[in-house]
Amino acid sequence: MDTRVITVKPQPAKSMQEELRELASTLSDIVRGIRTAQEPIIESQQKVPQATEQLERITRQTEDATHRVLDMVEHITARESEIESLLKDLKRALPATYFRNNSKAKAVIERIRECAGQNQSAAYDIMDALQFQDITSQQIDHAITLLEQVQSRLQSVLMELAGGTQEEIPAEKRRERAYDPNAHFSTENDKDKQFSVDELVDNLSRQMKKD
Amino acid sequence: MSQKVLVVDDSPTLVKFVTFSLKSNGYEVVGASDGMDALEKVSNIEGAVDLVITDLNMPNIDGYELIATLRKTPRFAKTPIIILSSEEEEEDKVKGQKVGADSYLVKPFKSSVLIEEVTRLLKK
Repeated sequence: MDTRVITVKPQPAKSMQEELRELASTLSDIVRGIRTAQEPIIESQQKVPQATEQLERITRQTEDATHRVLDMVEHITARESEIESLLKDLKRALPATYFRNNSKAKAVIERIRECAGQNQSAAYDIMDALQFQDITSQQIDHAITLLEQVQSRLQSVLMELAGGTQEEIPAEKRRERAYDPNAHFSTENDKDKQFSVDELVDNLSRQMKKD
Repeated sequence: MSQKVLVVDDSPTLVKFVTFSLKSNGYEVVGASDGMDALEKVSNIEGAVDLVITDLNMPNIDGYELIATLRKTPRFAKTPIIILSSEEEEEDKVKGQKVGADSYLVKPFKSSVLIEEVTRLLKK
């Protein structure tokens, strides 16, 4: 029987140790990498609620300020109406011949009435412009919703990295928002815009009657 | 006796603005913050509501659902309804018309345009 002797050269124990050391070092690098990646994600995730809170504060403050201006405009228009009414009373209180003999006084009264009317009209323009607050609050609500989506995605990433040990932010903390994401403030071509809507509504009404 | 208008919008600014415009022109106003609030207020109002002005995007019950619900009740079957919305898409206007709105104003709008529309619909 032919016997062959195969000699297996034993691997040096040092090399195995080296490999294990390398593996441990790689694992340590991975863990460090995960930790390094987690830190900015955790930081960003914690900053999102701060940002949403800040945006909500802006909405509340602009709303309060807008309401104060609206109240003031309301008082201005009431006083302008009162001025017009007082001028009428003054005219009635004076003898009919007074203005015939005093054309300057008549002109002054007319000018006061004119100014009151112009102020009234300007007050309504201010009031119309204050609708910006409604439009910007819708835009802010849209931005908040986007931030909350980012927060939710970051949370998913964190949960993956931490193996599901990351605490989830309860849904009830978020308030329900209803807004138009395309809301924009522009008072240009108001009449054209309204005309197209009226036209559309008229056409539809005619169509529905036919049907 | 002044005519009563129900104003529904989740923006307190818009409700205040529309209320002021209407009151300055002699209308009585009932404000509501969304569709659900509007339905609750309507059930507590004695007498007629002559006109309804509503937003579309609102929490709880939106404008479309509110209009559809109101139209199902005999009390609101013929009441003029105006939609106020920042949605400019034709699709929204068509949908509003289909659920029963009479008019559609795009935000922002001039108070004078709103008053003209209210007067026109109440004269019909």
